[in-house]
Amino acid sequence: MSVEDIKAYIESGVLELYVLGDLSAEEKAEVEALALKNPAIKAELDEIEKATHLYADVHDIEPADELRHRILNSLMTNLGDDRTFSKGKYNQPEARVAPIKPATTSIFYKYAFAASILLLCLCGGALVMVLNRLQNARQQLVTYQLQNQKFTRQVSQMDEEIAVFRDTTFRFVKLKGTAKMPQANVTVAWSSQRKKVMLDVATAALPAPDKGHQYQLWAIANGKPVDLGVFDAAEADSTKMMEMKSTGEAQAFAITLEPTGGSPKPTTEPLVIAAL
Amino acid sequence: MAKKHKITLSEEELISALRRREKVAAEALYDMYSASLYGVIFRIVNDTATAEDVLQEAFVKIWNSASSYSAEKGRLFTWMLNIARNLAIDKVRSKDFKNQYKNQELENNVGYIDKHNSTEYKPELLGVKDLVETLKPEQKSILDLIYFKGYTHTEAADELGIPLGTIKTRLRMAIMQLRRHFN
Repeated sequence: MSVEDIKAYIESGVLELYVLGDLSAEEKAEVEALALKNPAIKAELDEIEKATHLYADVHDIEPADELRHRILNSLMTNLGDDRTFSKGKYNQPEARVAPIKPATTSIFYKYAFAASILLLCLCGGALVMVLNRLQNARQQLVTYQLQNQKFTRQVSQMDEEIAVFRDTTFRFVKLKGTAKMPQANVTVAWSSQRKKVMLDVATAALPAPDKGHQYQLWAIANGKPVDLGVFDAAEADSTKMMEMKSTGEAQAFAITLEPTGGSPKPTTEPLVIAAL
Repeated sequence: MAKKHKITLSEEELISALRRREKVAAEALYDMYSASLYGVIFRIVNDTATAEDVLQEAFVKIWNSASSYSAEKGRLFTWMLNIARNLAIDKVRSKDFKNQYKNQELENNVGYIDKHNSTEYKPELLGVKDLVETLKPEQKSILDLIYFKGYTHTEAADELGIPLGTIKTRLRMAIMQLRRHFN
């Protein structure tokens, strides 16, 4: 580098920028290399440094007295341990905490997320179970309600039946089988005052008629048969006492087998009969 | 307020003590340079608590990387000042700081400091203030932008609307003016 080159280099202002830390790494390295080779550049740098130092000194501000103690302490407490110190002690608390914090948080959230999903699955399972049980309970309830209705009906029927037994106006008439059907017998309860006729279907011992026929009950009043209605043979589970058509007068009761629906007058001989 | 006796070492003594990590080196370092570094840091960050934090960070960094300093590359103060300035500039440019101090203007504050901050009487600086007064305003503004506001010369050129070459020339002129103190 010629003397003129050096002069031009110095006057370019690049050395001032070097001292003020305002150069790129390559430019910095170039200045340092040239300063090593050229005492004039080195001397110029030294002058610039003195001047900038002076400028800083002129503008100095005395920091608070406590700061001296604080800063020297922060340097001294680490004198004994060069290794940790050289790593940059003042950075450590941050450096140590920063990576751990997000890690724990993310692990926490991962677990929390997994736990939430598990909880959701459990809740879903529990809900399905509860719904199933609810449905079962409803079905049971319906069953019980039906049973209850049935029992209520039975009870009211039995109440009626018991009322028949308690009512002293009723007479119980046992109809016996004729020669056509010697084993048959049927009980009829009759209250002439109330004009009510009840037929005890449960205890009626009659063979089941074929499809085209029904039994028909007659009262014989003043020598004439009076229609008291038709009935089928006793059903196996029946506890019924069947209310028949009413009549206030009867000297006898008889049952004949008639075509389904009954006949206005008996068309066959009586199968069971009782005279009062 | 009673001042402690301040420790002063020659630059060579200080550097070798610093390499041996002696207590006296830390004390001398602080006593000799804290006020000058703090003056620059304070003007950049514009806030006492932040300036104190940055000064502490700067000393810790200087203390820890003393082995990387070599006298061949320049004076100790230049090296220290660049560490302190860079930390201060980083602080100012950090998001948090920007949000907090958005509205404060450097120029106002520098004026405030210079008017109200009583610095110690230093006989060796006798006449330097007068010398600074002789700086032309356009020279001083460039020096202050770079020195006390953390601008690069490129940013200063943009800010002032002046060509880059002119910035460099004026900066050199300003520093030449200050160098008269030593001649």
